[in-house]
Amino acid sequence: MVFSSITFLFYFLPVTLFLYFVVPKRFKNPVLLAASLVFYAWGEKWLVLLLLLSVAIGYAAGMLMDRWRGKAAARAVFVISTVLLLGFLVYYKYTDFFIANFNAVTGLDVRLLGIALPIGISFYTFQILSYTIDVYRGNVPVQRNPFRLATYVTLFPQLIAGPIVRYSTVAEQLAERTHTLEKAAYGVSRFIAGLGKKILLANQLGEICSRFKETADGSVLYCWIYAIVFTLQIYFDFSAYSDMAIGLGKLFGFDFPENFNYPLTAASVSDFWRRWHMTLSSWFRDYVYIPMGGNRVPAARLVLNIMVVWLLTGFWHGASWNFIIWGVLYGLLLLAERFLFKGRIEKLHVVNHIYVILTVVLGFVLFDAASLPEAGRVIGGMFGFCDLPAVSQEGLYVLRSGAVLICLSILGATPLPKRLYEKLSMTKAGGAILAVAKPVALGALLLLCTAYLVDGSYNPFLYFRF
Amino acid sequence: MENKEKIKQLAAVLTPALILVALTLFCWFKPHTDISVSERRELASFPQASYAAVADGTFMEQFELYAEDQFPLRETFRTGKALSGRYLFARPDINGIYSVNGYSAAILAPLDEKSLEHAAGLFENLYEEYLSGTDVHVYLSVIPDKGYFLAQENGYPSLDYGELVRILRDGTPHMSYIDLFGELSVSDYYRTDTHWRQEKILDAVGKLAQGMGVSVDGADAYREVIADRDFYGVYAGQSALPTKPDRLVYLVSSVTEQALVYNYETEQTGSVYDLKKANDPDMYDLFLSGPVRLLRIENPLAETDRELVIFRDSFSSSAAPLLISGYKTVTLVDLRYIRSYEIGDWIDFDRQDVLFLFNTALLNGSWSLK
Repeated sequence: MVFSSITFLFYFLPVTLFLYFVVPKRFKNPVLLAASLVFYAWGEKWLVLLLLLSVAIGYAAGMLMDRWRGKAAARAVFVISTVLLLGFLVYYKYTDFFIANFNAVTGLDVRLLGIALPIGISFYTFQILSYTIDVYRGNVPVQRNPFRLATYVTLFPQLIAGPIVRYSTVAEQLAERTHTLEKAAYGVSRFIAGLGKKILLANQLGEICSRFKETADGSVLYCWIYAIVFTLQIYFDFSAYSDMAIGLGKLFGFDFPENFNYPLTAASVSDFWRRWHMTLSSWFRDYVYIPMGGNRVPAARLVLNIMVVWLLTGFWHGASWNFIIWGVLYGLLLLAERFLFKGRIEKLHVVNHIYVILTVVLGFVLFDAASLPEAGRVIGGMFGFCDLPAVSQEGLYVLRSGAVLICLSILGATPLPKRLYEKLSMTKAGGAILAVAKPVALGALLLLCTAYLVDGSYNPFLYFRF
Repeated sequence: MENKEKIKQLAAVLTPALILVALTLFCWFKPHTDISVSERRELASFPQASYAAVADGTFMEQFELYAEDQFPLRETFRTGKALSGRYLFARPDINGIYSVNGYSAAILAPLDEKSLEHAAGLFENLYEEYLSGTDVHVYLSVIPDKGYFLAQENGYPSLDYGELVRILRDGTPHMSYIDLFGELSVSDYYRTDTHWRQEKILDAVGKLAQGMGVSVDGADAYREVIADRDFYGVYAGQSALPTKPDRLVYLVSSVTEQALVYNYETEQTGSVYDLKKANDPDMYDLFLSGPVRLLRIENPLAETDRELVIFRDSFSSSAAPLLISGYKTVTLVDLRYIRSYEIGDWIDFDRQDVLFLFNTALLNGSWSLK
């Protein structure tokens, strides 16, 4: 089930909210757990059992590591549970990739298994690992209540596309959390803002990308339009999901971490990754990079650490060479910024933004391509290497048709609207206007999003496939 | 100050919450709606729940369709979306439909050469299978869509119509081509629909008749009858924008009144104009009862033995009644609903005129032709 659907908004969510706020405090987590399982099983059916099995492994590992704390057995449990959890991830996500590459190298013809990827497996596996690793390290107390742990892992607002909420972040809120009008107001606003970003911007941008992929009327201009529009689409799609997750979390009393901070305005590639999918970057930093030694190692080892982290980051996104190369390229850029430019890039004022945007846009072409040759065709097309005309009828029309959408999206990807809102709200007149305008705007936005959903518009979430 | 802040927060929660609750209750208790008139389709019903349907996910998939289809005020919301597309996002087309001077048209570009080759190949196979070696005269004609008149000069993507006709003609060397492009203008089409207006195509039909060497009745023979209801064509529903309706007019003469239409599917005989269909969502179905795989029109007033077979799409439904006066029988074959290998079971080709008459929209997406 996706947030941006009639089923979620007008069937699942009202029932869940009603039950959640009607039941006594001790039943709130069970209501959330039950709702989350229905939410997941609605789309994934029996794969909900895999989710529960992963939770059971995490729970058992936590309990055993706590019992055998300081002993070798705890380490063994930690290793076994990690291998099992990562084993599921590897089996479901990477098996066919490995078989295909094995076939390519050996010339054999081992049959691909065609395993369906359970939605959100990369997210919930990393969340359970955050729990088992922190329990093993002694950073968080073990969770003795299996239903509470299951509630944490399956929590539907963030189950399938993040943010990656670490157990330590919400451990206390699982036991005791408050529900205030302030939280509710923030949650509602954030959720509807995310819904609007997803439905009004990301989905419509996605239609342009889909059209580009089917076109027989390509051109250099059209390739650029696609590359820029896809970058905007993936930003709005993913950050909208995070907005909705954070908003829903607030409604249920949880404080989830931020996942985006205007990444397309970053001053360098390093800065971009401090602003894009922040919970994934910090997960890799804390659970891979720092355990490998982090910064406090000789230069050669530091290069290795960074490249390993970015190789894994790329591979986490998908079982394809595109993603691996995408990750490795970012690793190389980060190394270049660290060792060659030594922080000077961020001091440049315009050139650095052009460099970041160009890098990110080209990166996302690679990211979105079905294969390396396809990525090559689009990137080649952007720079006039694919025998395409400079402009085409369809490319021009798409630009004309999507001009307002693209401009609004570019504006929305910057902090300008937020700053304007904050400035306005600080003046007396502005505050009075916003007091009326904000609820009206939220209501109107909800109605408009409903209108787009009723008309059955293009509506996939890009990050579900990870 | 704190109270003011609380009121603001309360308003921010309550406004969307009330909308959500109201629509949710409306959603759950609204009576079932059977069809969407604007989209000309049945709306999804609540799916049957069974263990198997839940286990394989079909219940969930069908429920999602049901929830969208049965949403309260569905048409109003669709219009809201269309208006926001037009005025908020300044989109020149809504759901692929654009409007120039009140005439709505669909974006059909780019040219799908494979589709055109498919159509030409199918026509040529029919020729080889049934027509080669007989005394039939075979003609090909193409009806331009409204985009021919509107797209290019108004900055919308346009088909390359010259190339379209060239591909078809090159692929059908045994057919004599009758050019209708010069006989039509945008005002010969409904403003809200894809089709041409019967009362405006006498010149085009005359050109077809001339091309086939027959004489058909001219404008003097007909009187115009206006259908009672407003006609909202297919583009009105697709774009969902508020649109002025068309008036549907049909031409009646002694020939059309006497003509008998035999429907091979229902094995029943009826009239050229099926007035019961004037109450259907698609009023254009009034012409020859809409989509029917195989029809034969007999002209009891005919002063000739000539027969015509038209391989056709829906445009011929309104054109064929105007050709009856030149023939004893007119047989209409809709290749979207009958497979070409079945045609020999129904028609003996001997000395007829055979006309392949299709519109550009169908030819550019001809995969429904069998």
